[in-house]
Amino acid sequence: MNGLRVVIAPDTIAPVVTVGVYYKIGFRLEPQGRSGFAHLFEHMMFQGSENAPKMQHIKLINSSGGVLNGSTMYDVTNYYEAVPSNALERVLWLEADRMRALKVDEENLINQRDVVKEEVRVNVLNQPYGGFPWLDMPPVAFRNWANAHNFYGDFADLDAASLADVQKFFRTYYVPNNAVLLVLGDVVPQEGLALAEKYFGPIPAGAAPPFADPAEPPQTEERRGHVEEKFGTLPAIAIGYVLPQRRTSEWYAMVLLDQALHGGRAGRIHRELVMEKQIAVEADGGVDDVFGYNGPTQMTTRILHKPEYSAEQTLAAFDAVLHEVQEKGISQEELDQLKVKWRSDYYSTLEGGRGGYMPRYGLMHLLACFTLFDNEPELVNTILEGFLNVTREEIQTVAKKYLRPENRALVFRTPVSKDAKEAA
Amino acid sequence: MATRAPEMAIGAPALTPERPVTWPKRTRARLSNGLQVVLAEAHSIPKFHGELFFRAGEALVSDRSVGLAEMTSTVLRTGTTKRTSRQIEEDLRRLGADLGASAGQDTSAISFAGLSEFAEPLLQLVNELSRQASFPESEFERERRQKLEEVKLERTSPGFLAGERLRKVLFGAHPYARVSPSEEQVAAYRREDLESVYREIYTPENALLVLVGDFEPQAMLKIAEKIFGDWEGKKPAAKEAPAPPQLRGRRVYLVHNPGSVQTQILAGCHAITRKHPEWIRLGLANSLYGGAFNSRLVMNIREDKGYTYSPRSGVTPLLQHGYFSVSAAVRNDVVAASLTEIFYELDKLRSLPVPAAELADAQNYLTGVFSMGLATQEGLLAQFSTAELHELPEDYLETYRDKVRALTSTDLISTARKYFDSANLQIVVVGDRAQIEEQAGLFGEVEAYDNQGKRISA
Repeated sequence: MNGLRVVIAPDTIAPVVTVGVYYKIGFRLEPQGRSGFAHLFEHMMFQGSENAPKMQHIKLINSSGGVLNGSTMYDVTNYYEAVPSNALERVLWLEADRMRALKVDEENLINQRDVVKEEVRVNVLNQPYGGFPWLDMPPVAFRNWANAHNFYGDFADLDAASLADVQKFFRTYYVPNNAVLLVLGDVVPQEGLALAEKYFGPIPAGAAPPFADPAEPPQTEERRGHVEEKFGTLPAIAIGYVLPQRRTSEWYAMVLLDQALHGGRAGRIHRELVMEKQIAVEADGGVDDVFGYNGPTQMTTRILHKPEYSAEQTLAAFDAVLHEVQEKGISQEELDQLKVKWRSDYYSTLEGGRGGYMPRYGLMHLLACFTLFDNEPELVNTILEGFLNVTREEIQTVAKKYLRPENRALVFRTPVSKDAKEAA
Repeated sequence: MATRAPEMAIGAPALTPERPVTWPKRTRARLSNGLQVVLAEAHSIPKFHGELFFRAGEALVSDRSVGLAEMTSTVLRTGTTKRTSRQIEEDLRRLGADLGASAGQDTSAISFAGLSEFAEPLLQLVNELSRQASFPESEFERERRQKLEEVKLERTSPGFLAGERLRKVLFGAHPYARVSPSEEQVAAYRREDLESVYREIYTPENALLVLVGDFEPQAMLKIAEKIFGDWEGKKPAAKEAPAPPQLRGRRVYLVHNPGSVQTQILAGCHAITRKHPEWIRLGLANSLYGGAFNSRLVMNIREDKGYTYSPRSGVTPLLQHGYFSVSAAVRNDVVAASLTEIFYELDKLRSLPVPAAELADAQNYLTGVFSMGLATQEGLLAQFSTAELHELPEDYLETYRDKVRALTSTDLISTARKYFDSANLQIVVVGDRAQIEEQAGLFGEVEAYDNQGKRISA
């Protein structure tokens, strides 16, 4: 009775079981002055626990024939394994051991701080358009530190992180009452539940974690920011619009509107900017991880445009696409197509989601988020209906209400000139 | 070398008896025009996944210009004699479908996935793209201009620059050395060139159709015959390619990327194709070396030393030649230290027998991960396609796990000695020259290039 929620989703498709543990803490609400800490902490969770010291977590899963990983998101952090189903008990033992008693030392922390810095370099600092726009946009778009800070972490903050911070974060947020355990695939529900009880049951509950309020003050003006592009050759623009509250009727309509705008090569933005006007080389984006966030978020368009067009010309072409939807709405034919595609995509999300080698990732992710945010994992069976019920009128209404300059932020990422580069 | 002895886990539950791993039955057939078909049921979701492969790609045509096969695949989805580009994209959405067209060195392919209820119209569209693409002038022109921007852009990516240089070094005059076109080559592309590539490569005799998903195989086979059966065409004549160079001794190829705050290391040597009888043992040796999270290289330069986030090794199985490579993006001040460990771990596998427990762990890993592919339509499609395209034995999937389990420590040491050719490994480093040249030079004579691929002097 420690408050850990357990969700089991059995099937007999393959002799493989997927296990996930989700904690309701992500980088949004990590401690101030410790940007990047939630992610650094995620790395520490692979560094050893009381009965499984450093390197044993990885070794135990790989040598059972399985794969494992973790990821830090806005509002949750997950740890997951896909293994042949004969390793289920071992995986549950391992996840319970690190939930109960993380055991890391200074050497582990220094080691993973170095690894994380190389991760930031390989994904952001040493890549063309690294971090664009997911790291560039928040400080421009938001005013509450929770939403606006550098989620990968400033190196000074990473250096300042101590073992005491690690222990405190663990005691505060990594308590069973702030988590959900998921077991999917080749498992008999009663057996899965019994094993969950055996290994996780003895872990004591913790105090209910404190959560800072991530609400944003009302936005009344368009916001703009500029970032230098060190490597890339093309100017880039990101445009983000804050979304309606999740699971409201406006939100369902907005998500389908997002598909009308960004749904691949048939999407209006790609069609207009890349195919028709040929201003942009890339124009894509949308709501990232529709079901996986629980605070202020945006629908973000990402455009790499040809240097012969100015940023303002590019933006004008983008705005024209939105104006058309605001004024004329979308046709019934287009809406019907969007719904078929959305339904089809939803099935694929449930089946896979992280390539062929992490089966059921999508189903796990949705069950976890619906449990932690809504206390209602069954939403996975019904949420599709909300999208299929959206009308043309609702789409036009949200287009007018949300796609306004006062609800958006722009980031211009501009290549440094060749001459400046030579001089540097 | 690890500075800290690994500790053991205490009280980890044992594995329970294994559940049988059963691959779905494949229906293999040849349509009346020679088109080869492989079908398998998988009812995980009410969808199906498919891929129509053509057994030729860049390597067949890159003596005309680099990137022509890829450009052909890009433009073919932009118009047919019956549909415009916009209609194609909207029809896909109407069918709840995704579609991609691409070309590699050895194959060109149209991959697709959609709702089972719309299988027939989706296959009709795939058929149209394969036979009646019209290569509209305006679409071609737009894609060519897009490609011009893309080839400029890719030269700013360290991973691309490293991969391109290693291919050039390993393959010399062989077509596999040609990775991506220059701006001049793209500027000179002509629509007619794409049309002739299309006519040569996209033929039924050259094709393999793989379908996996929620359908009944015999019914699906009938649909395939109805749609593709009246298509005619011979496969293109095979072409002799020059042999890749025999590379003796280590050399260092430095690609100068000004302002780099990290160094991309990529080192490699020739190995074997997937069809080779020693492929499976090389796969096991690779997984011990750097092919798994739990591998020696990852434990050493990531988990012990913190030099890098994502070190890995792998064998790239092109159809005519395979090659082994190891990569890591490392801190600029530990380039020499990282290369030292990369060689140390290679040489250790060449010199010392793998302990029995470690061997068993690696065997479990490979056999377990192999069966993960069973759980999704996409995973099954990938496995079936690989087996067909690489002409592996019919029971390859069913016997793979037993073959992995039969390998011994002696097999591994001989495999490592043969294919982890550390004395002749070719080393590419991409980074800021001033910060890394001296370190890289400790491992061999340095040839420096700029990020446009031009040799630069000492």
